[in-house]
Amino acid sequence: MLSECFIASTSASAKTPASASLRDVGICLHELQPSATLRSTFKKSSTAPNCLAVSASHIFAAQSEKATVHVYSRDKGNQEATVPFHERIRSLAVAGSKNGDIVVLGTEGGRLILWEVCTGRQVVTTASHLRPVTAVVVDPTTNFILSGSADATIHVWSLVDLLSFTKPPSGRDRQPANSPIRTFSNHRAAVTAISVGHSTGRYNIAVSTAQDNTAIAWDYRTGHVLRNFLLPANAISLSLDPVDRAFYVGYEDGSLQSVDFYKDHSVQHPLHDPSLQSTPAQIPAEERWLPPSADSGAAHTLTLSYDGMVLLSGHENGKVYSWNVGRRKYASTVADLTHPVTNVIMQPLAGLYQQAASLKRVSHTIVKPRFDHSLSENSQFAGTVPADYEFNTHILSEATSARPDWFMNAFSNACFPTSLLEQGLAELAAVGQPTFAATAPSSNVAMDIDDSTKDSQIAELERENATLKQKVSVSQTARQVTTEEVTKLRSDLANLHDYINELQQKQEQSHREKIRREARKEERAARRREAWFAAEKKGKNGDAALRRLDSEEGSETSGTDDQSSDE
Amino acid sequence: MAHLVMSLRAVNHRLTSLPVQQLPAIAASLATSISECGELLSSPQSQKTGRTDSDHAVQVHKLVTRLSSLLQDRTFEGRWVAVVLVKALVEAGQWEILRGSEPFVRGLMGILNKPDPTSTKTMAVITLTRIFHLTYQYPTLVREITTPSLPGFITSTLNLVSVKPPSEPTRRLKPNSPFLEVVLCAYSELIARHPTIFRPFTAQIHSVLQAIVGSKSASHSQSVVDISEQLFVALHQCAPKNSGGEEWKNACRMTITSIHATANHVLRAVVEQWESVDPLLRQQLGHSIDYSSEVGSHGADALGLTGWRGLDLGVDRLLVLMRMLSTFLKTATATTVSIPVGTILDLTARLMSVTVPSDAGGVQANPSISRTEREHLLTELPRIHAACMRLLRTLVNTLETAALPIAQTILEQTLWVFRAEKFNKRIRASVYDLIHVLIDRIGPSMTKKNVSSLTDIIRTSCTDILPQDIETSTKNSISEAKGRSKTNANAINADSFLNPNLKQGRQLIGASSSNKFPRLARAASTLLPAILTNLPTEYLAPPLRAEIDRTVIMTSSKDAMFASVLNPFPAARGRGASISIAPFLVRSYASGMDVEALIRPRMPVLTNTNAIGQYVAPEDDEEEEEIIDPVSASETIPESTGFLQPSTTPNLQALVDSKSTATTTTTSLSKRTYTEEPALQTQQPSISSNTSTKPAGVQIKKARVESTVSASPLDQSEPVSSTTTIQTKSFKEDISMLDVDAAASSSSEPVAVGQTLVSQVQTATQPLVEDEDSDDEMPTLNIEPDTDEEDEE
Repeated sequence: MLSECFIASTSASAKTPASASLRDVGICLHELQPSATLRSTFKKSSTAPNCLAVSASHIFAAQSEKATVHVYSRDKGNQEATVPFHERIRSLAVAGSKNGDIVVLGTEGGRLILWEVCTGRQVVTTASHLRPVTAVVVDPTTNFILSGSADATIHVWSLVDLLSFTKPPSGRDRQPANSPIRTFSNHRAAVTAISVGHSTGRYNIAVSTAQDNTAIAWDYRTGHVLRNFLLPANAISLSLDPVDRAFYVGYEDGSLQSVDFYKDHSVQHPLHDPSLQSTPAQIPAEERWLPPSADSGAAHTLTLSYDGMVLLSGHENGKVYSWNVGRRKYASTVADLTHPVTNVIMQPLAGLYQQAASLKRVSHTIVKPRFDHSLSENSQFAGTVPADYEFNTHILSEATSARPDWFMNAFSNACFPTSLLEQGLAELAAVGQPTFAATAPSSNVAMDIDDSTKDSQIAELERENATLKQKVSVSQTARQVTTEEVTKLRSDLANLHDYINELQQKQEQSHREKIRREARKEERAARRREAWFAAEKKGKNGDAALRRLDSEEGSETSGTDDQSSDE
Repeated sequence: MAHLVMSLRAVNHRLTSLPVQQLPAIAASLATSISECGELLSSPQSQKTGRTDSDHAVQVHKLVTRLSSLLQDRTFEGRWVAVVLVKALVEAGQWEILRGSEPFVRGLMGILNKPDPTSTKTMAVITLTRIFHLTYQYPTLVREITTPSLPGFITSTLNLVSVKPPSEPTRRLKPNSPFLEVVLCAYSELIARHPTIFRPFTAQIHSVLQAIVGSKSASHSQSVVDISEQLFVALHQCAPKNSGGEEWKNACRMTITSIHATANHVLRAVVEQWESVDPLLRQQLGHSIDYSSEVGSHGADALGLTGWRGLDLGVDRLLVLMRMLSTFLKTATATTVSIPVGTILDLTARLMSVTVPSDAGGVQANPSISRTEREHLLTELPRIHAACMRLLRTLVNTLETAALPIAQTILEQTLWVFRAEKFNKRIRASVYDLIHVLIDRIGPSMTKKNVSSLTDIIRTSCTDILPQDIETSTKNSISEAKGRSKTNANAINADSFLNPNLKQGRQLIGASSSNKFPRLARAASTLLPAILTNLPTEYLAPPLRAEIDRTVIMTSSKDAMFASVLNPFPAARGRGASISIAPFLVRSYASGMDVEALIRPRMPVLTNTNAIGQYVAPEDDEEEEEIIDPVSASETIPESTGFLQPSTTPNLQALVDSKSTATTTTTSLSKRTYTEEPALQTQQPSISSNTSTKPAGVQIKKARVESTVSASPLDQSEPVSSTTTIQTKSFKEDISMLDVDAAASSSSEPVAVGQTLVSQVQTATQPLVEDEDSDDEMPTLNIEPDTDEEDEE
């Protein structure tokens, strides 16, 4: 379920809390939505404004009037450590918003201390501020620190330069190491609060308030003033809209006010409009949002809800007020913590879906700072990372799982994926018909059969192959034989046809000869008859003539036969 | 609910009536039906009262018993179907089914020991893993089901992939087991949840993993090696209470020692200049190496991996170990561990300090090693360095913001390698990837020298995106156009004179050749937007910026074009407008939502109404639109009329000229130019302001004086934006609809355009005066080199 919480801290006072649950409580985790209830408490802490910082795993609270920082574990709900420092800590911030790897401390003496909570490394800067550092913020890129001091200056520091083992090549040789890269000195009195815009681009803004009744919006990448705002009173707390459209200030009398960047009607971005940058904007006093009661006390701290529509303020009288940003007025009292509320920090929404995945690692315990001797004094290996530089953390990331996709698909889906099922079906088919198993085409179907059976199968197949080849050769020869027979028969048939033709010719010839012979016979008979008749006429005996003719004829016929055959 | 009962009954009917041999064919549809009945299967039994509900219970019971008996079926098909359906049933039924899943677990474990086909066993392993995984959140089920059966599961799966010789605590890997991958996956899924059950088996699993990781040839697929490395790292979770972190650290340190030991042998052909920052390690590495024999390591190393022989195997071993070390950095751990950041950087410093020598020499050769081995080593170096950079990238990604202290160190190591080995594509791609993650972290606070040290990398990335031939051809054409008739070495190719299309052809060939190594082009094209976004743009040299812009335009990469438009190159003082490639972006992606937001922003503003934070009625909405619409039109029209010529033409000379003439023309324009002066100063955070803060302050003050002077003649009642009102006046003739009130109310819709459009608006008026000039210089793609020339002059 979606819920929104804030963390509030108080400074000690003489008053005693009404309820027993708030006794000794210095920091509390309070739910804002859905219901305004106290969630959990951390004891024994007294913090000044700008002295509380919260990371995903820990709460850091610099103790007022002491040189110690209390570290509370949010997992365990107890105080994990009390970290002593050489100087009083006047302001505190956490860099690396998600994990809170680096804690930045502003000291009484005007220097910054950077403490890497996972390694214990500690880097101290030069005392560039002349008075205590009262406000420290880190920009969204985690590259710059803005520190405001009672000496009316704001220094911009490069976090990378301060922390790097190997110092980057720079044109800033003339300046001592660990010094600010830029100084903003447009304020005329002690800086009370700084707030940084929410962009990671290079046009991000910073807003700072000071005790000279001014608020200045400026570009911390260049140090250029974007806009001056003349406030009706001294602002002591500050909060910037999530979309950087406006900022809200709290005054010492407990009233609040919103300052809208887009109030003026301008086509250009009002903060980047050069014609406006020199003209201070007068913020009218009557537009202040008045607190419900006059004894509210100073609004020490401000924070905005996730949607930017609810403004929370912590007051001197121990109350946390909620204000309606749209209506520009007080809405309700969220909590009463008895002691002066010095810090209120809104926590990110719990219950958004992608949030849990975004945390890649978590540090359960902090490493107390130790002075890093190898950083500055070690001349032999200057610029190298010492071998004992170790980073203590608990890695959570499972984002880049090395497990292959096919496994995860099969593992977490409701059914096995089709590819796996198809592979299984293919294997089952292969197992079901073991004789034809080897003919299965799929190569990735690895059969779980012993080598011996495989060998036997192969042998069997080879045998089969041999018999098949034999059969094929036999049938081939048989076919060859038949074709030969057919061709032979065909040729025989042709021969027979020729024979028949021959015979027919012979028959025809003989027929013709017979006709001719008969014709000749008739001719001879006719001649005999003529000879007989002629002999009879002459009175001779016809028969004798005939006999003579016949004897003639016997020699003659042979001769005529030859003649006729010759003709 | 009734249809669910119906479909469940249908499933039961088919399961019981059809012969087992036919079931596999319909298994998929049965599984789908079962998972669709999830609502029914997961509803608690106790709540079921009445006749129809008892029918539910009967059907569910029938299904469960049928599946249990199928798991014991004689046929392969029956068991196969049972495994598929049990998985679907467990997923669908959740707790209700899980609590009765004990017979399933027994049946599935039985399958692992039977001669079933691969897929049946694979799916059985997955199903069992899933059951163990799902029961994890219910302690009673863990006690009843997981704890008794998990040891048996581990034993039988280990038997699937390996052989345990009796009387030995270790195992020998079975060659070519098809189950290796699935078993390792199952272990890595379960080991974090049940470390105590795995504890007795760590030695056996460890020996199997050693065999895989230390295998000499590529006998295992990459995914198997990956998963076994991951499991190797995860084994520390089985350590007894509270010693997990110590185990992890020991394993990590041993890996590093192992890499050093391997590197001793592999790098013996050169004399290393590196000296460890760790005194302990310096002692360890003091041993002399036998130079007489072939390169190789004999005994097992710190991790227990077997020895190797020959340079190729040595390099392979080195790469495997480096990958293992990266795996250490990205695998989830059981408790808090201490990452030895210093030692890892020491290691990469060693490996990356040996580079391929340039002409001037570089590495010192070891005289006792043959030249062939040295040359072999030098050709293998890029692979080793690419692995180093992958390791560093993993380190930076894991540490996130905590990488700030070491980022500069890594950057210098990378630059060193890049200088020596940029000829290698793999090295280039790795460098681009690593630089990308680095400048995401430290880009905004980079100094000018730091940025200029990246120049070489940025240039090469541009040429990697665009084929080299375009470079030379455009340069040639420009030089020809300028009339500098130098005899070019490239011009010897006579074909290019005869056939101008040849260039086009070569260009295409070049493009396709870059496709052969897609990782390089991808790495280079993701690097460019990161550079434009994160680096301070004023530190990029103008010619370099021009080259980046040209590359971005040529490739039409939306991200890179956006990065360029959102981070314009700051206008040089006294040079007029800044250069923007916004028109190219709009031409290419006019319909994109983000382009729309850039050109016509609609950011909601906190208004004075009470209705804030609520969804207002539609009438209000329309009203609002009515106010806004004519305005946004009036805003965009003047921009688009005069906008194209000056803003895209980076022809600074013309703009400077026009400025000098503009002062003499009209009074309104002269006012404009005065107000423009401070604007330029905001956009140009001059370099002097960075070297020392004082001069910057002086400039600011001076600017303020000027702008107050310019502001004074303006109407005091409306000190809003002098530029806007003037500009709208100058376009009043063009747009008769425009009236001043509308313009004023228009700005209730704020213009968060950023500097780009602002500067364009400013310059928009000038071309009106200088029309004939600007006509000559219409924007073309090749205009950037022109500006280069000017800047050099």
